[in-house]
Amino acid sequence: MKKLGISVLFFITFIIIYILQANLFPHLKIAGVMPNLFIILILWIGLFANATEAIIFGIIMGILLDLTYGKVIGITAIMLCVIGYLGAYFDKNFSKESKFKILLMVIGSTIIYELGYYILSVAIIGYDFEWLRFMRIVIFEVIYNVLITILLYPLIQNLGYKIDRNFKKNNILTRYF
Amino acid sequence: MNRNKQTEALGTIITLIILVLLIFLSNVQTSKLSFFEGIVSSVLSPVQNLFISLRNKATGNNTYFSDMELLIAENEELKEKNSDLEEQIRELEIIKADNETMQEYMNLTQKYAEYETIPAYVINKDVSNLSSTLVLNAGSDNGVKENMTVIADKGLVGHVISVTNNTSKVQVIIDSASTVSCSISTTEQSIICKGTLDNDQKLRASFIPTGAELIHGDTVSTSGLGGIYRKGIHIGTIKEIVTTSNVIDRYAIVEPAVDFSTVNNVLIIAE
Repeated sequence: MKKLGISVLFFITFIIIYILQANLFPHLKIAGVMPNLFIILILWIGLFANATEAIIFGIIMGILLDLTYGKVIGITAIMLCVIGYLGAYFDKNFSKESKFKILLMVIGSTIIYELGYYILSVAIIGYDFEWLRFMRIVIFEVIYNVLITILLYPLIQNLGYKIDRNFKKNNILTRYF
Repeated sequence: MNRNKQTEALGTIITLIILVLLIFLSNVQTSKLSFFEGIVSSVLSPVQNLFISLRNKATGNNTYFSDMELLIAENEELKEKNSDLEEQIRELEIIKADNETMQEYMNLTQKYAEYETIPAYVINKDVSNLSSTLVLNAGSDNGVKENMTVIADKGLVGHVISVTNNTSKVQVIIDSASTVSCSISTTEQSIICKGTLDNDQKLRASFIPTGAELIHGDTVSTSGLGGIYRKGIHIGTIKEIVTTSNVIDRYAIVEPAVDFSTVNNVLIIAE
């Protein structure tokens, strides 16, 4: 029952992020680049909930975004699903205690998401491969995402561990000892 | 513990300040900073002038320099006059070419007026940095179909890529996946305008015929080839011509007439 409540919370967060992304960030661009909070959200779900939850949410949210904006259905869904899996992988292999590691995870997943998204777009839709302009966009997006993660870090950590306790009741001790 | 919390709060505040500064600095134009430049130079230049005039008096070159200044000023004036005249010649050439094609355009404008159009609002814009699509509030209930052309008051916006009952998705011409076949208004030669990933909303015109003469400020409109866009819809003007060592490689930067960040009211041309 609690898990259902958490899933609802994830979905509400998605809607809030969607509203921010569509209405606020177009006016707050850094060098013409917007942040991508969906990556941070899915990574967060992967890190503090579990892989299944993150992958399902990644696919659902990706398909919703693809339906509203995408030229092809599925690219965002695939990449968000990958980020969800990546979050769960990070959770298994690294500690979430340190701010620095969380920031590195955000940097890594932003780069992987944008790179995958762009390569799939080049392959499926037929973009010209403009790697210099693409790199410029990715660099500014990573900077923006990192700054937002630093600002949201207390929330990510506190709320995250509350969720963590619901999803990994039994194996917390065995995981570290 | 308390100290830890303090440093954390400090870190958050510093990040917030950096974020605000980045947003502010990356969006401010340098021309707006000329006010501060003016203050600095108005304070410093009298002092500098005094020293230079003293030095010139001491060494006796002040007449030489004043003559030189006169010559430079005259040269500048002549150059300006020359470029003005050149510009006038070019304008006349454009007017001449315009006059020749006017008859053709007369028919076209009448045709443009005959188009049955569906008015629509932009209700949503893409959240991604890598693509730009618009969502309009008119759908198949209003008669919108796929591949219909979308125009704004100043020129071409894009074409419809998918339709629902009440909304339609538009691929904008500055999108990286968009390619439009265009023609230059003065010479009637065809070029290809592609969108780029740049955030400055410019089109890149390539496949320019080797014999074609491009003129800065020439207008570009759709050529009607390709099957999606009709002929003669205004796109924009040539902003910059980039010549490379190979004539085949050269390209031009086309500035669209429509500002895609503020476009709100559009018309969909029905078949």
